[in-house]
Amino acid sequence: MSRFSFYDDEAHPSPWQHTWRAFKSSHIALIGLAVLLLFVFFAFFAPLVAPYDPIYQNTEALLIPPSWTANGSIAHLFGTDALGRDLFSRIMYGCRMTFGTSLLVVIIAMLIGVTIGTVAGMLSGVRSSVVNHLLDALMAIPTLLIAIIIVGILGSGLVNSMWAITLALIPQFIHHTRSFVRGEMKKDYIQSSTLDGASNLQLFYYSILPNMFETLVVQGTLALSIAVIDISALGFLNLGAQPPLPELGAILATGLDAGYLAPWSIAIPGISIFLMVLSITIVGDGLRSALRKRVNR
Amino acid sequence: MNRRSVWTVVSAIVVTLLGGCSPQKYSANYTSGLVYCSESDPISMNPQLDTSTTTADATAHQIYNRLLEFDTETGRIRPSLATKWSISQDGLRYRFLLRQDVGFHSTSYFTPSRLLNAEDVLFSFNRWRLPEHSFHPVSGGYYPYFESLGLADNIADITALSPFEVEITLKQRDSSFLANIASDFSVILSAEYGDLLMSRGTPEKIDRLPIGTGPYQYADYQKNHYIRYDVNEQYWEGTPASESLIFDITPKSSLRLAKLMTGECDAIAFPARVDHQVIRERDDLALDEKAGLNIGFWAFNTERAPFDNPAVRKALAYAIDKNTLIEAVYFDSATRAKSLLPAASWAYQPDAQDTGYNPVLARQLLDQAGIEPGFSMTIWAIPVERAYNPNAQKMAELIQRYLADIEVEVNIVSYDWSTFRRELRRGNHDSVLIGWSADNGDPDNFYRPLLSCDAIPSGTNRARWCNPTYDELLDRALQTEDIDIRKALYLKANELLFDKLPIVPIAHAYRYQAYRKELSGMVINPYGGVRLGGVTKHRD
Amino acid sequence: MTRILFRYFVLFTLTLLALCALSFSLIYLFPAEPVTTLTGITPQNLIQHEALINQYHLNSNILVQFGDYLSELFAGNWGVSLISGQPLSKEIMLALPATIELSACAMFIVVVIGIPLGCYSGLRAYSNADFTINSISVTLYSVPVFWLAVIFILTFSLQFGWLPLSGRVNLLFDIPHQTGFLFIDILLADNLDKSAALSDAFLHLILPTLSIALMSTASMIRITRRSIIDVLNKPFIIAAKSKGLSSRQIFVRHVLRNALLPILPLMAMQITTLITNAMIVETLFSWPGIGNWLIQAIYQRDYSALRMGMLAVSTLVVMITIAIDLFNRLIDPSREKFESVTI
Repeated sequence: MSRFSFYDDEAHPSPWQHTWRAFKSSHIALIGLAVLLLFVFFAFFAPLVAPYDPIYQNTEALLIPPSWTANGSIAHLFGTDALGRDLFSRIMYGCRMTFGTSLLVVIIAMLIGVTIGTVAGMLSGVRSSVVNHLLDALMAIPTLLIAIIIVGILGSGLVNSMWAITLALIPQFIHHTRSFVRGEMKKDYIQSSTLDGASNLQLFYYSILPNMFETLVVQGTLALSIAVIDISALGFLNLGAQPPLPELGAILATGLDAGYLAPWSIAIPGISIFLMVLSITIVGDGLRSALRKRVNR
Repeated sequence: MNRRSVWTVVSAIVVTLLGGCSPQKYSANYTSGLVYCSESDPISMNPQLDTSTTTADATAHQIYNRLLEFDTETGRIRPSLATKWSISQDGLRYRFLLRQDVGFHSTSYFTPSRLLNAEDVLFSFNRWRLPEHSFHPVSGGYYPYFESLGLADNIADITALSPFEVEITLKQRDSSFLANIASDFSVILSAEYGDLLMSRGTPEKIDRLPIGTGPYQYADYQKNHYIRYDVNEQYWEGTPASESLIFDITPKSSLRLAKLMTGECDAIAFPARVDHQVIRERDDLALDEKAGLNIGFWAFNTERAPFDNPAVRKALAYAIDKNTLIEAVYFDSATRAKSLLPAASWAYQPDAQDTGYNPVLARQLLDQAGIEPGFSMTIWAIPVERAYNPNAQKMAELIQRYLADIEVEVNIVSYDWSTFRRELRRGNHDSVLIGWSADNGDPDNFYRPLLSCDAIPSGTNRARWCNPTYDELLDRALQTEDIDIRKALYLKANELLFDKLPIVPIAHAYRYQAYRKELSGMVINPYGGVRLGGVTKHRD
Repeated sequence: MTRILFRYFVLFTLTLLALCALSFSLIYLFPAEPVTTLTGITPQNLIQHEALINQYHLNSNILVQFGDYLSELFAGNWGVSLISGQPLSKEIMLALPATIELSACAMFIVVVIGIPLGCYSGLRAYSNADFTINSISVTLYSVPVFWLAVIFILTFSLQFGWLPLSGRVNLLFDIPHQTGFLFIDILLADNLDKSAALSDAFLHLILPTLSIALMSTASMIRITRRSIIDVLNKPFIIAAKSKGLSSRQIFVRHVLRNALLPILPLMAMQITTLITNAMIVETLFSWPGIGNWLIQAIYQRDYSALRMGMLAVSTLVVMITIAIDLFNRLIDPSREKFESVTI
């Protein structure tokens, strides 16, 4: 065969490239992605870019307003809290803490959920039905309740709240994987692989997983936004991250105490959580509609 | 919603958040009643059983009366249920003449058939005094205030000389005795009600469904939510103006202030220090302040190694900068504490020795004591605002940083208030940030409950420190009425305390009371719980 | 029909049993004495300790214990709170109606606002109106409820002074507890200015309801919109159009019914979200509901209360979920359980 082809082959963009093109066409999704990347950046590089140590207490500078107000100081962009800690640094570390733990939680939940879901999807009959019913029950229990029980057993702390949220997220992954795998198992290409003698493991790895990957990403973004809200809610209720750990919900709860004198200490952590969730949702939405466009072509 | 109205709402929110707020009053059709926003649930409806301010606030001056009472202005002891009293020459026998027109509450669960008499006084005192009394073991059988002062042991006998005259005989002279009788905890219960409950086999109801002689009577209580009181129409000092009194239990201080601003509360407990400025700036709110008889301190659990070593305790004391703590936590509304007593007390020692801020010395002391860098300890921080420590959590975080400088790791522990106290009493702490509000102006009321051996089982000695020399000094000080001799003895006690340092005194704070201007008669009571009997609300 | 009912009954019983087993296991999981977690009584001495253990058969076989636990549960003997000493059944019956009332009002708003807006934006898909509604709903969906509640308090209670922020009704109204549902209690009460009490209770309800309803309304709009769009793309709509039906007829007869059916199970999930959010928001508005109660219980380490609270809330939620599921199954037998979630 010749090394080069004389006629230009038609370009065959990979499915991922298709998705990216569709995604790119929405400006809002792109902006969301940019904001999300900023948070990812904070999550990884907060120690390098944060101007102060998030738990360093400068008792000379208590409750300094943000720099854009009349009494603000340029040294503290978002001002300081009641202990003289730089709010900007705390927010950066807070993003790291909240976003990082959420990401971790989602990945763990996804791994466990997909494994169980696949097994449940490939099996059929009584066992599957039992799993299904148990899941329905589990899915109905509010996350907060699970978290409260876990905190009751293990004590409050960031790690314990992570366990609680992981537990609460797993059923959704199981559910989706299970219905997806069930749907796929009926399709012809799986049938043909089965006829070729593929084992269940091979079926999953070579045939189902590649097709499932994108829906998993979409599911993951949905779960991520839930995880961020839940982690910060637990921090806010003082059941998750304990002070002085900079976690956005906990920062907001501390800010509440000085809320009348320092309204920015309520506004800024809240807006950060809001933006984080918003950007995740927008990116998830963008991905979803991009996938939909690709599939519907 | 059109675009303009969207923008109005959005800008309103932004203005509120970034610009501060100038809130207005939400108005509803009130019935005549007084709402006081308190910070926590009372442990019991009987202050004999508990020393916490929360319990005292909710019960002592609302439901009950004492034989004697402190004047909130002068601090002098004045008559209450007892109209007159006399002390024998040797200082051992006290006679009280009772009022003859005092009736107990008539409620849905109890109707009294007689007025207050000497029997009720005997019943109330004997309950905490005599272990063999039928009501002594009811509701746990702990009477921490009286145990911490050794009062039960010191009373030899109580007798009724006539239906309205009582004599109390002491074993030893006690110059603080009258002050203790006037404190929040020496309330008078109804003997008739006690007998009724005992005959029904439900004696524990006496502490849940209380009957007293105070201006308000108990109506309803829902945990974490509210306590409702009805007015005592027959109150002997004159019926209060409000038909009902409500304690709205609101643990978060920012929410309490919010409710005060909207008028959902008429007065609040413990306004947070950061919010004082906000309250002062408003026309419809008032903030009173008064030097308080209290002390906030950091106590080490001296039963636990290595805190049984005075050198370690000293080292930790040198590691913290008290002035910064006072500035950051009290916003300068407190004075630095050197010894246990505040300046308002007659035994105050202005030149008492004090620990300065010296982290280098601190580390040296730790090294000598064999404490390795990386040593880890717990600081328990009270979860509620108190006059003596408005924000223990914050103070703990500051101390955490200071101790990090001398390479000591700190874990901050905090539970809900009632759990906190329960756990603290078991002695599970390494150290604790807590304090003491005096119940009367006598120095003995600081020295004895906080650090005497007797106060360990009763739970007020947070350092769990027991020193016979110290106890002896305190006992000697009570044997005399001579102020100078007593003062000299307390100076010695101060020296001993500085040498052993079981607790690090931090601050004596002012007391504050925030309320709406419609209220009149709201006075700060430096000697214990809030008094709402004389408060009236003017309706616009 | 009977077969379905039977299946759901079995499912419900099994789930309930699982939940009971879970709450039973908490007796041993919580870091307190099993006796204390079970009964809520801290034994003062060894004799009492022994007596309690014997009374509750705590030293016998675990299955016997569980059986005993179940019979006690059904007899209504739920133990007492570790902190207040009150019977838990009484405390939960005081708190649960408050949460149900709050969530029900929020659910009402979610349905009344969410579904019409969702329909509208689904019918006008990819128009400017749809875009606006969609962006607003994405935004609302991303606002953390606890922050939203704080902002509501700051804005509407403190800044404008329009609405109260504490509890269900001004505490100066002494409303006797009868059903636990405040509005019914007010109507049943005597010696009360009913209209004043009702309007006060209504004012108290607005902010907490809105704080939890907005997020779920946003989801509901998105779910409805998606479902409408999906149905509009189905061939039978084109068929209907080609038959010359008016768009109004198409919408009412074909689109709405087919679009709302798959939404029903998703509404069940919204209820879970609503109750979770209600629990968080209750602490900010001093709402005396089960969430506030549970969170106080965890702060106080009131283990016996946590055990029963967990059982009560999860049973309630599971009951609602299964009921909606059953309803859905009955009116639409062809449907697979739980459509996959598409938003």
